[in-house]
Amino acid sequence: MTNRMTKGWFALFTIPLLLIFVTVVIIPFLMGIYYSFFDWDGIGANPMVFVGLDNYLQLFSDTRFMDSAWITVKFTILALITVNILGVTFALLVTSALKTVNAARAMLFMPNLIGGLILGYIWQFIFTDAFKIIGEATGFESVFFNWLLNPDYSLYALVFVFTWQMAGYMMIIYIAGIQGISNDVIEASMIDGASYWQRLRKIILPLLMPSFTICLFLTLSFAFKIYDVNLSLTGGGPVNSTELFALHIYNEIFGYGNYGFGQAKAVIFFVIVAAVTLTQVYITKKREVEM
Amino acid sequence: MKKSSKLIRELLLLLGALVFLSPVYIMVVNSFKNRQELYENVIALPSEFSLQYYLDAMDKMNFMTALGNSLFITITSVIFIVILSSMTAWMLARTDNVLSKIIFMTFIATMLIPFQTLMMPLIQFMDTLSGVLPVEMLNTRGGLIYMHVGFNAGMAVFLYHGFVRSTVPISLEEAATIDGCTKFGLFWRIVFPMLKPITVTVIILNVIQIWNDFLLPSLTLTDTSLRTIPLSTFYFFGEFTIQWNLAMAGLTLTVIPVVIFYIFAQKHIIKGIGEGAVK
Amino acid sequence: MKFRKSLLFLVAITVVLVLAACGGEDNEGNENSEGSEASSGEKITIFQSKVEISEQLEELAAEYEEETGVEVEVWGTTGDDYFQQLQIRLNSNQGPSIFSVRHITEAEKLDSYLYDMSNEPFVEHIAPDMALEYDGKVVGVPYGVEGFGLVYNKDLVSEEDIADYESFINTLEEFNGTDVDGLSLAQEAYFLIGHLSNYPFSLQDDNYEYIQQLNNGDVTMADTEEFQAFGQLMEDLRANIPNPLDITYDEQVGDFATGKTAMIHQGNWAYGMFEDYDLDFEIGMAPLPLLDNDKLEVGVGSNWGINGEKDDAEVQAAADFLNWMHTSETGMRYIVEEFGAVPAFTNIEANDLDPLSQAVLDATNSGETIPWSHNYYPANVIVNDFVPATENFFLSEDVSGDDFIDSLDTAWQNATK
Repeated sequence: MTNRMTKGWFALFTIPLLLIFVTVVIIPFLMGIYYSFFDWDGIGANPMVFVGLDNYLQLFSDTRFMDSAWITVKFTILALITVNILGVTFALLVTSALKTVNAARAMLFMPNLIGGLILGYIWQFIFTDAFKIIGEATGFESVFFNWLLNPDYSLYALVFVFTWQMAGYMMIIYIAGIQGISNDVIEASMIDGASYWQRLRKIILPLLMPSFTICLFLTLSFAFKIYDVNLSLTGGGPVNSTELFALHIYNEIFGYGNYGFGQAKAVIFFVIVAAVTLTQVYITKKREVEM
Repeated sequence: MKKSSKLIRELLLLLGALVFLSPVYIMVVNSFKNRQELYENVIALPSEFSLQYYLDAMDKMNFMTALGNSLFITITSVIFIVILSSMTAWMLARTDNVLSKIIFMTFIATMLIPFQTLMMPLIQFMDTLSGVLPVEMLNTRGGLIYMHVGFNAGMAVFLYHGFVRSTVPISLEEAATIDGCTKFGLFWRIVFPMLKPITVTVIILNVIQIWNDFLLPSLTLTDTSLRTIPLSTFYFFGEFTIQWNLAMAGLTLTVIPVVIFYIFAQKHIIKGIGEGAVK
Repeated sequence: MKFRKSLLFLVAITVVLVLAACGGEDNEGNENSEGSEASSGEKITIFQSKVEISEQLEELAAEYEEETGVEVEVWGTTGDDYFQQLQIRLNSNQGPSIFSVRHITEAEKLDSYLYDMSNEPFVEHIAPDMALEYDGKVVGVPYGVEGFGLVYNKDLVSEEDIADYESFINTLEEFNGTDVDGLSLAQEAYFLIGHLSNYPFSLQDDNYEYIQQLNNGDVTMADTEEFQAFGQLMEDLRANIPNPLDITYDEQVGDFATGKTAMIHQGNWAYGMFEDYDLDFEIGMAPLPLLDNDKLEVGVGSNWGINGEKDDAEVQAAADFLNWMHTSETGMRYIVEEFGAVPAFTNIEANDLDPLSQAVLDATNSGETIPWSHNYYPANVIVNDFVPATENFFLSEDVSGDDFIDSLDTAWQNATK
């Protein structure tokens, strides 16, 4: 009886969302996997030829895919570091006792609201015009030049803009985490005479571990899926040096019209990334203390 | 001495935030310039602050209708996301078996799938659903809300799940169960109120996401009268060029409601936390 | 019991969600779905790629509805993702009745959707060779004629300065020592290489035939005289003009409009960009003299196609609309005055054109044109393959013109494999 009841409750709580989730995300994803076994141009009326695993075998010899996957990994790692350092710093700043924190919080949050293509275009103005002006004015022309023209720097430009956009977002989650830390703990440590740095290192950051797990994973998932900014800021250039994964798939699927091949790429990359990150989430989740 | 150093820190924080905000400045300033002015200097202030481009943009975007659509779609989606995801996440966090682990992992794994690879099968499947069910999924607000809920469920479940495990004491739940609370009552009366900080966070993050979304609405809504705000800005993005002033004005108009919302919501976070501390 | 209560609550939520879906349908969607169910040709939908004319098209649609009672709904999207959206909509039975087909490569892909317009009355008015034909059928009606070449500032450059290749390069070199740039390109894919790459193809006796040979691997660009000359042109350009990767379309036009650049490689569509500037000089458009070429590159930017998958009544309604647009007073006025097109129809007269469009029209009337070739390129080769090759060329001085042509060959093979 109790067992059946428990199952009933479980179903009641989870099935409504699962139903929506399965129809919106899982089924289309499975359809995508199905398409990956076909040679198809993506037009419903045109022939779909079953090719088995050909698309999968072929993609390992596709150097542009390999390059893109590698660039995406590089970008993601860089972004993970910068976004989270900045995000947690912001969160600590705006939860301090300063009077201006409310204003600062809203301001730091705002970049996040400028979504989509136009964000990339605005930064294009900054890199091409503002950087040039700053470089000429300050003499630091080795730093302030048009990053978008240099195959090495344009990836950093993307990291830069992505960090700018996401730091405020992660800040919100870190704020929730910091405010979840009980005041007693902090007060006790203050009575013990701990300095700010000691408190930060010994108390606040360890207690923020759950927020770190969340933010690292969120940053990772956003970095991995980045598309709009990529398209509008660099368009994948110069010379494909910033063609990140989502853009690459998009080009394969809708540019070349190799629907099946593009889906095969998406599946493979997804499997690899999911394996790595889920292990990471699993491990950190286990480590978190349950209260 | 201490006072002045604090003042300096205050100023530094504001200054830092301002520098951080400079791209927003570029957006606002250039919404007042014509093509020649923009070309001459992107950073300079406009020669005049005329609201003409804003009026033009609002007119072309059919702003009031679009605002109504955006509000309706965003608010409804977020309500459903909060209700359904918090329930699911709590249940998953409190049920220690393989099934719940698999479900949870599936939720977060799908957060790694780029939307570009899902969109075509999604729309095809939604068309199939509309054929089978008596409900029209495409080109309706309800259908779009349904899809928003599905796509944002993963992240909301992930956030709630982490929060439940780290901050909601099991002992409290057990006590309530002994008092004869059903799971449903337990969740809504005891657990959900404790989730307030993360609920506010989930609301904020989802509002941004859904409010700004272009791709999904553009694929599902064709009817002119259903367009959301971001969707109505398409007029300014031509084949080769962008009408910068109108696009920037349109974007500013898109952003303003969310900023107001955030300022409002953040007061709420602080209030909620404060209340918790007093108790 | 409480369980049942909770169940009720959830059912209520689900019902609300479904109602929301239906609610949307009741308001607007219902009209729509009824329209397409009954689909007695009382409503047609248009989805098209030229965002710039969206508003005007909506106005035209309103006029049509007033005149005939047939509702015309115009959908919109940004210029970037038109084709992908069209593809998704067609695949999920949500296709429009009329849509844009930009060129033959798209027509080939969408062949099974395209209605054969050969017997429609307005087709006979299409200017010679301007209809989009595939497999012996007329599948597209041109929006209008467009042309590109050297757009020049008549105060700074005279026609003789750019009459042949040698004087063109000399002119660029002369400007090189001054504050004014002789010529500029822009970083956008079509302005960087897409349009430029037409010349060596279009100068072939039969550009279509040549592209077929290229696809079959019978010829290479590297072995073709016109391409060798094109490689030389690119080297000469790199030596004499500012790095195009550093210049956006907006800046290119701005520099030209304010006299900082003497020439830009652009088409008549750029004229709209000058509206916000006070031009204090006259402008003209001249051919780019690769191998002393003296003809403008003229072609059709996009075409109207009809979705043949729709039922007969809707197809007929769509054809009626296109007919009205190209033969009625109102429709013709819109094409010329509101859409700003150089008409590709013999029955539509164009007056008061801007100087660039006038140059295109004059060239068309006198036959002094070479055809666009990029319409025959493999799908997306410009954006996906030519652009990276060109960026590489402009970023590194070590890449010679010949190397560049080799990289175009590689790009082509990659796209046709």
